[in-house]
Amino acid sequence: MGPKIKAQPRAVAEPEIPVEYPTVKDKLEAEYLESRPYEVLKAKKGFSGMSAAEKSAYANYIFLETGVWKNWAASQQKDFWALVEKQKIPLPLPKPQPLGKDFRGRDLETYTPQEYQEYQKKQTRLRQLEAESKRWREIHIDGDERIEEFEEEESQEVEKQRRKEIGDLKGKAMGRYESDPTWDDVKPIPQDDGEGALAQIAYTDEYSEAMGYLRAIMAANEHTPRVLGLTEHIIGMNAAHYTVWLYRASTLFALNSSIAEELTWLNEVALVNQKNYQIWHHRQLLIDQLYTTISSSPSDLEELAKSELEFMMQMFAEDSKNYHVWSYRQYLVRKLDLFSSAPELASVEALLREDVRNNSAWSHRFFIVFSNPSYCTPTSKATEPDPAIPATVIDRELNFAKAATFEAPQNQSPWNYLRGVLRKADRKLSTEEEFASQFVQDLEKDTVDIKSSHALDFLADVWEETGEVEKADRALTLLGDTFDRVRKNYWEWRRKALKKD
Amino acid sequence: MATDNLDSLLKSNPQPPQTGFIVDDTEAISSSGEAGDFANREFVHRVGPSSYPAMMSARIASASTVPDLFTTHPLLRDFLVTESSQIQDETVDECLPFLSGLQQGITFNEHGVPHLDRRRHIQFLHKGLRNLPSQFVAADASRPWMFYWALAGLSAMGEDVSEYRERIISTLRPIQNPTGGFGGGNGQMSHLASTYAALLSLAIVGGKEAFNLVDRKSMWEWLSVLKQPDGGFQMSVGGEEDIRGAYCAAVIITLLDLPLELSRESPAWTSNGATLLTNLPEWVAKCQSFEGGFSGRPDAEAHGAYAFCALACLCVLGDPHIIIPKYIDVPRLISWLSSRQYAPEGGFSGRTNKLVDGCYSHWVGGCWPLLEASLDGPFQGHSGKEGSAEAISNTSVGSLFSREGLIRYILCCCQDFGKRGGLRDKPSHMSDSYHTCYVLAGLSSAQHKWHFNASTDNEPDSTLTSAYQWTAEPVLDDSQIYDEQDRVEMLHPVFVICQGRAEEMRAYFASQGGL
Repeated sequence: MGPKIKAQPRAVAEPEIPVEYPTVKDKLEAEYLESRPYEVLKAKKGFSGMSAAEKSAYANYIFLETGVWKNWAASQQKDFWALVEKQKIPLPLPKPQPLGKDFRGRDLETYTPQEYQEYQKKQTRLRQLEAESKRWREIHIDGDERIEEFEEEESQEVEKQRRKEIGDLKGKAMGRYESDPTWDDVKPIPQDDGEGALAQIAYTDEYSEAMGYLRAIMAANEHTPRVLGLTEHIIGMNAAHYTVWLYRASTLFALNSSIAEELTWLNEVALVNQKNYQIWHHRQLLIDQLYTTISSSPSDLEELAKSELEFMMQMFAEDSKNYHVWSYRQYLVRKLDLFSSAPELASVEALLREDVRNNSAWSHRFFIVFSNPSYCTPTSKATEPDPAIPATVIDRELNFAKAATFEAPQNQSPWNYLRGVLRKADRKLSTEEEFASQFVQDLEKDTVDIKSSHALDFLADVWEETGEVEKADRALTLLGDTFDRVRKNYWEWRRKALKKD
Repeated sequence: MATDNLDSLLKSNPQPPQTGFIVDDTEAISSSGEAGDFANREFVHRVGPSSYPAMMSARIASASTVPDLFTTHPLLRDFLVTESSQIQDETVDECLPFLSGLQQGITFNEHGVPHLDRRRHIQFLHKGLRNLPSQFVAADASRPWMFYWALAGLSAMGEDVSEYRERIISTLRPIQNPTGGFGGGNGQMSHLASTYAALLSLAIVGGKEAFNLVDRKSMWEWLSVLKQPDGGFQMSVGGEEDIRGAYCAAVIITLLDLPLELSRESPAWTSNGATLLTNLPEWVAKCQSFEGGFSGRPDAEAHGAYAFCALACLCVLGDPHIIIPKYIDVPRLISWLSSRQYAPEGGFSGRTNKLVDGCYSHWVGGCWPLLEASLDGPFQGHSGKEGSAEAISNTSVGSLFSREGLIRYILCCCQDFGKRGGLRDKPSHMSDSYHTCYVLAGLSSAQHKWHFNASTDNEPDSTLTSAYQWTAEPVLDDSQIYDEQDRVEMLHPVFVICQGRAEEMRAYFASQGGL
């Protein structure tokens, strides 16, 4: 193609067929040479091979190229230009400079001439848009009051489109906030990491930009609806960001936003971020706030308790021992006084039916039973006796723990629960000696048969209580030597304590 | 044996021969004398009938050096299967090959325990201080932790971290807020956990310049605002109140030797002179659950991490043998803590019926030195050889947990033996800085015996001096299952940084006087 066309005799005075160059670089180089016909001629023929006219034209070309004529007298310059015109010496073009690269990193010199033309058009458009956008910002940031509200909205849309086009032309979309005219009044504050900071994180552009805007918003102490969108955006990228959560909460309250809507949104966030402190503290702040508005309406409170329980059970379906959810649940029970609530106890029992080893559920049961303000002493610690607890409650709980023990005697949860209940009741462990003995046969014989090391542990304490030191010692020795060997040092320490008594 | 057969076996095991006892098929064959250079073997174990093929005898040899306690499922198991028991059984099955000394490609000593791969763990922690890829964005609100975990872990392995001094200072400078305290990063609200981690990082690198970075006056004002009328501390202004706050605040107050009175801005301020410490031990005591362990805040479930926070907080506030029994039910706590250790795994779990996790090597393991000192009372010196089991048992309750079990779990199950290095939760988990730090801290408490020395009161005008009365000695006994080269440094039982660093920081600020 190219070479063939080039090979055509150019001197023929037919209508000129435009030469097609494969790249813009080729074209520019050809044009460069075309603007220096006498230089080309000299290279071809040598100076001595040139005619006198050609030599003269060559000399004038050199004057043109070097620009020495500029130092001549005006009349001389006039003669010179007349001669240049007469000899048809083209103005020599400067040597083509590298064109650089486009936004994709492609060398512009490898563009075809047509492509390059398109490119230049786009660049012109880009410069124009950027100038318009700059002007737009100048007007709007200065808050030009002559602009009617309606117009402003319309022009905001136009400006938004303009920025999108700028992004397209640059091959790099503008950040979410930079491209949005409603954020023009905020000047993002970059993160100051200090010189050569350790453990610097290579943030995505999206995260960096959003955080830059948040820092600016916080510096201005702004609490407006757009802050909710910004904080939601950041939380979606990093849910562990406590500063963002706390700022969001203060904004919600400042705006008097709908707590119900926030809770619905929060449910989704919680389900995808299982191990997160902040979500649950945020929820607690929301409930504290909501409570002040519905505390006089029993039906609203009941509704809230119901929906919260439903959501927590959804969380427990993912992880029935999620510490944050359980801690929140304890908070909620106190806040809404759910100690005597039937669904509260029932749902804990349901979780235990599913997995009797779920110690979180056991702990929660202990809390709702033994911290119930309708009968408990408010200052009584979990490890202390509370004489205010009714005996019926104590007996019910003892039976509950014991029944669970039969399902899986080596499950420590109900054994710990049993001890906890006896402590609350201020009853001696020996009151349950008979029960615990069912899991221990032939203690004194070689044929000793143990169903539960926890029963043996329990009995050792019982016998210490009753002064049956030898039996206690035998139980502790069996634990250390056979049934719970990894804790041998602990059992030995208990044995030593027996002897001291 | 045919050469090609041997080649294929060698290919299946890309590990180069190392010193020590490698138990896998390739090396077992090697030890029969058909391949390899064994001059550098520290130990080659041969037991069993001589008629056994060499390969068999090596396998049995290694397995037989590990007590069956750590190689078999527990004796007592219930028939009832629930989700808890299922994942517990899976975890045991996951750990057994590592504990039995049979895992391919790992070098075990004569006790079936691998070496601590210091070189790789050190490399792993250094890497955590370099530029991090964008996936680390979740750590953006806890960067001071990244510094602390790496520096504490490196110094535990004997690395000199003073090369980081300048950069720790310049990195923390923009993270400190003019209103007091350090946030998770530049422009973030101050947080007690970040501040704790930042201060300990400064203490680890040490030096006047590092200490001078801290603005004590604004720190004191900020702590006053966090102090709650019920005695506890919020983690950040308007944030959650929990037992981490109690521990972190106590550490900050003592390290910086802050005045104890409250500023007028404090929600806990009273006209009768309530202080930063008023009702703090009482608040901590309210977190002891019916099981004996501690919860993150009152009413919740007992959890290993919070047990450490509770005990370490109390040990800042007073002498362990006085303050611990004064505020908590010690026998129930010890019973619960002791129940955290499982066999065959050997490591600790964080809660009843939950799984072992390497990080509890510290959170639970780190409770033992504090409790043992509380039971022992002030240290009076030894009769007998330093560090020997006999000498220790003459003056102490000794160990209340199985040091061997914990060390086996750490060295066998928590190390990433691959190129990545670092320590981990359990074999199926990836290593990270957090686990590397706390697994090493647990290893340190298992390898040393701590003593609390009676308060000497040599700082008559200052308070909170109890935490500076601790000394340690290495535990040296005949049953030691790890090699001396695998002993890590002594980490202070309250501050969890190398011994001497907290003391230096405190002495500096005590000499500075008032704010």
